[in-house]
Amino acid sequence: MALLGVPVVFIALFSVGLRSNIPGAPVAFSLSNWSNFLTGGGGAFRGRFVYSMEVTLAVSVLTTLAAYPLAYFLSFVARHRRYALLLLLLAPFFTSYLLRVIAWQIILNNNGVVNSLLWDLHLRPQGDGVSWLIYSTFSVALVLFYSWIPFVSLPIFVVLENMDHRLQEAAADLGASRMSTFWKVTLPLSLPGVIAGFVFVLIPTTGEFITPLLVGGPNNQLFGNSIQAFFSATPDWNYGSVLAVALIVVVVVLTLLFGRFLQTDLRAEARPEQ
Amino acid sequence: MTAWVLDRRRFLASGAAALGGAVLLDACGSPSASHSSNPSTRPPIGKESGQLSILEWPGYEAHGTKAQTNGLLAGKNYTGKFGTSGITYTYITNDDQALEKATVSGPFDLMHPCHENLQDYVSRGLVQPFDSSLIPSFSQLNPFLVKKGQINGKQYMIPWDWGYGSLTYRTDHVSAADATGWELAWNRKYSGKISLWGGASTNFEIAALKLGFPKIDSLTSSQLSSAKAALLQQKPLNKLYWDNEYTQLQPDLKSGTTWIGYSWQDTLVTLSGEKIPVAFLNPSQGRLSWLCGFMLGAHTKNYYHCHDYVESFINHAACAQMTNSYYYGTSNATVKPSDIKNQTLVKALKLGDPTAIAATDVHLQSWSPNRKDLELAWQEVVAA
Repeated sequence: MALLGVPVVFIALFSVGLRSNIPGAPVAFSLSNWSNFLTGGGGAFRGRFVYSMEVTLAVSVLTTLAAYPLAYFLSFVARHRRYALLLLLLAPFFTSYLLRVIAWQIILNNNGVVNSLLWDLHLRPQGDGVSWLIYSTFSVALVLFYSWIPFVSLPIFVVLENMDHRLQEAAADLGASRMSTFWKVTLPLSLPGVIAGFVFVLIPTTGEFITPLLVGGPNNQLFGNSIQAFFSATPDWNYGSVLAVALIVVVVVLTLLFGRFLQTDLRAEARPEQ
Repeated sequence: MTAWVLDRRRFLASGAAALGGAVLLDACGSPSASHSSNPSTRPPIGKESGQLSILEWPGYEAHGTKAQTNGLLAGKNYTGKFGTSGITYTYITNDDQALEKATVSGPFDLMHPCHENLQDYVSRGLVQPFDSSLIPSFSQLNPFLVKKGQINGKQYMIPWDWGYGSLTYRTDHVSAADATGWELAWNRKYSGKISLWGGASTNFEIAALKLGFPKIDSLTSSQLSSAKAALLQQKPLNKLYWDNEYTQLQPDLKSGTTWIGYSWQDTLVTLSGEKIPVAFLNPSQGRLSWLCGFMLGAHTKNYYHCHDYVESFINHAACAQMTNSYYYGTSNATVKPSDIKNQTLVKALKLGDPTAIAATDVHLQSWSPNRKDLELAWQEVVAA
């Protein structure tokens, strides 16, 4: 708790002017940065925050939707090869995150793999690349989707693996079709994994800054980039702390919200055994 | 299974402990003015560790280090004498970031920022004056540049490199009629093909020049608002705010991803050398100019090594080779125009005359009294 709390307290102190990153600078309690962010000229940051949440939600939903069939395939179709395939799924994570994002830069760049292929296949005139492939919302969402899909698949896979398969057999014995069994038995029982996976991608992505920094371009930076910039490129730790605290509050609220959902679902799952 | 429940009492106790810890750490880490090391207590060079931590731009590492891949000879005398294993570089991509890293990421033995924020380095207690008598080539330095590195008569910065900032553009894509002034970066015809630098101060200086403000580093609040509005107008035309000249801007200009980019003259030289049709804009409002140099960390335990390191960069041979590699000017006045291979560039960039950076048709980037407002405004531009 102290390891978590001390940095947050520090950031809170910076956000109200009680600390400064400039040696010797006067410090005094002030809510001016908060006022600027919440109601004043900080509209750009509020707008960036809304945009970031939209991207984050879209990425989280799409990643979860795509991860489910993947986890389902591993658990119910791949059978004996499932752990080998799981290892393959995780193989990209043996290299650093930064390198993987840079690899996407090479793929999506104006002269990158995709555009070169389009030119070679004469699908587009030579030199005329698809401009939205990189430095766009698409490129940010795509790389985030790629980065998180294995993490989202894992909790869903674990829940599906631990599911009592006799329930599905019972549903089939009672005349339920495969689709009906999926919708009425498998999916409801796997919801804790789905929610856990959704939270896995949602929470970290709210503060993401590396991906938009490398493939986002000037118009597609996320809220995390503004925070990072205030702590490095244009140092104003006080204002940056306001943004950081605001983000922490959002993450805490989201965690509590989804934590409640998870708890409810697990209890519901446990009830028949009582 | 035992559930760990965080009840209200435990939560408050943990919170109080965290707050107490923070206050304690806060007290321990309170910023205070730094003091230079006392000359009488300084150990001789043989007793110094020689482990140098240097704040540097990519591309300027000492000769012989693994990081130096551009063939620069500067630093060769130092690494020949002390080896390369003791040198560690921390990189900077713009001057605002340099000041920030020097403040919170150090301490550094040596730093190589540009001169505009020199007084902040001094007032924050990050640097101490050099002893110029320990640097044999110091006497060869141009007095105009030497003066720029002084505060209250003390030599806080040893000037090394100087040059210009402007727009490098592809002459095969950009019409000569459009390449007249800084407004080229606002030309909608080239939307998506422009790439400005990610430096806050520089972009406001460019906007100020475009808007015709006379004091580009001392903008009034209304001028700052106008410059911000201009940058907001420019932003959608921008492909990228680049951070790294070698891995982003130059490859993009070369490939045609970008046709117009803010750069220094080395980009012109590099790309021209590769037969890419480029030109370095001479805006009607004037180019920007800059001067960078070495600063000595206030708490360095390698005082004499640092002086040796700087000497290995500012001597005649190192300076002449650097100019021939990057076509930047250097502070060593013994480097004459005749030492430089490309005489066309020497004349175009007035490389034989360091005072050219303060001429009436260029704007030497200087200290900005309202940098905090400017940086916030820049972040608003980036976030918008």
